[in-house]
Amino acid sequence: MKGKGIMTVTIGAMIALLVCVMLMQFRTIEGTDIKELETMRETELRAEVAGWKTKYEEANKKLIDTQNKIAEYEEQEANNQESSKLLEEELKQAETMLGKTNVTGNGIVITLKDNDIALIEAYDLYKLVNDLRLAGAEAISINDIRITAMTDIKEIARGLMTIDGTRIWSPYIIQAIGDQTYLESGLTLKTYGYMDFVIKGYDKTGTIERQENMIIKASNKDMILEYAEEVKK
Amino acid sequence: MNKSKIAILLGVVCMVLTFVMCIQLKTIDVANKTVASSFSENRLRDEVLKWKDRYEEVYNEVQIEEAKLEKMRKKATENDDAAAATREKLKIANRLLGFTELTGKGVEITLDDNKLQSVDGTTTGNVLDYIVHDDDLIQIINDIKNAGVDAIAINDQRIVSTTGIACDGNVVRINKEKVSAPYVIKVIGSPEGIMGALTTPGTCFDTLDKLGLVKSVNKSNSVIVPKYEGIIELEYMKPVE
Repeated sequence: MKGKGIMTVTIGAMIALLVCVMLMQFRTIEGTDIKELETMRETELRAEVAGWKTKYEEANKKLIDTQNKIAEYEEQEANNQESSKLLEEELKQAETMLGKTNVTGNGIVITLKDNDIALIEAYDLYKLVNDLRLAGAEAISINDIRITAMTDIKEIARGLMTIDGTRIWSPYIIQAIGDQTYLESGLTLKTYGYMDFVIKGYDKTGTIERQENMIIKASNKDMILEYAEEVKK
Repeated sequence: MNKSKIAILLGVVCMVLTFVMCIQLKTIDVANKTVASSFSENRLRDEVLKWKDRYEEVYNEVQIEEAKLEKMRKKATENDDAAAATREKLKIANRLLGFTELTGKGVEITLDDNKLQSVDGTTTGNVLDYIVHDDDLIQIINDIKNAGVDAIAINDQRIVSTTGIACDGNVVRINKEKVSAPYVIKVIGSPEGIMGALTTPGTCFDTLDKLGLVKSVNKSNSVIVPKYEGIIELEYMKPVE
């Protein structure tokens, strides 16, 4: 009888101790920030860091570029050289960016054709231009018409389109200068890439091939600003 | 008999206790993981702020240096008419390239997802129809270009010769920058021409309007389109004479 009493007390004490420990543990867990569970966004944050890094690098490049130009002007001033030379160089560079010069480089050629089932539409062309730019294309032309920042592509009838007012029709030959691998893989992503989704998905005909040292012609349209003025600071 | 009853009871109590402890240990494990990941997330948040600060610093410096460069150009062409003409051409080229903030008459359009998902009590039943997609923006921008405009920006991202519009999960990327609804499209050009090009029946804008995604269209005499903050890099193409 006595032994039993001791045993019961001992067991009772142990259970009480265990319950105590458990209660403590519950407290600890409550103390940690469980709210954070809901904001598992590590990948998103990583992308954000990468984005700002790229922006910083681009701005830094621009800074170095501008500083170099200033140095050139200073040097020119010091040496009393002809003042228009540097300006002309700058203008030439700007005009190359605008698409006012013939350019050469490696890239890819996409050929789109009307077939018996489906015709190429305006969307197919400007979506392609968009996707080529995403893949880093530096110069693009469609049927030898240079695509610039404000180029418009319009369908005026089935199988007949205008680019900046010039009529074009099938076959459409699109040239793009840039990193060949990027350009090609940018368009040929499985299922949702341009070639699979926009072209083959609608039974349209299109091919891609690489080309070295191709020439893309200059734009011959007048580039003017009709309504816009610079904001004066 | 009594003894074995006690033994069974104790056994059951111990099992329950062990069980509860196991559950607790697991919970603690998860909680610890959360703490760890929130640490690395905080570190990443710091990182984001750090790079953003750095970018802003360099960007301000670029602004200062560009003003300086423009002064040097001016000085270099002071007594030279031909050079002054070149400088003027360069200025216009930079405006066309998107490197300056522009103002003029035009239109401001706001597109937003239709959260009510119905117009006049009717619905197409497809949630995706009531969201503004990257493809809608691509189509609308082309239609706006059809009107022959001077400058376009979406949520302050200037449309330049290298601009691509892409879908990135539930946001859109323009000039590699994240933008999301509501989309404010600012255009400098003839307001009549722009609205004419957009509201032709069957255009994307027309469809979005019918689905209740076009929130507002404001014609204005002083639309301001911000400048492009990135750079246009020419790495693969070279000019030929």
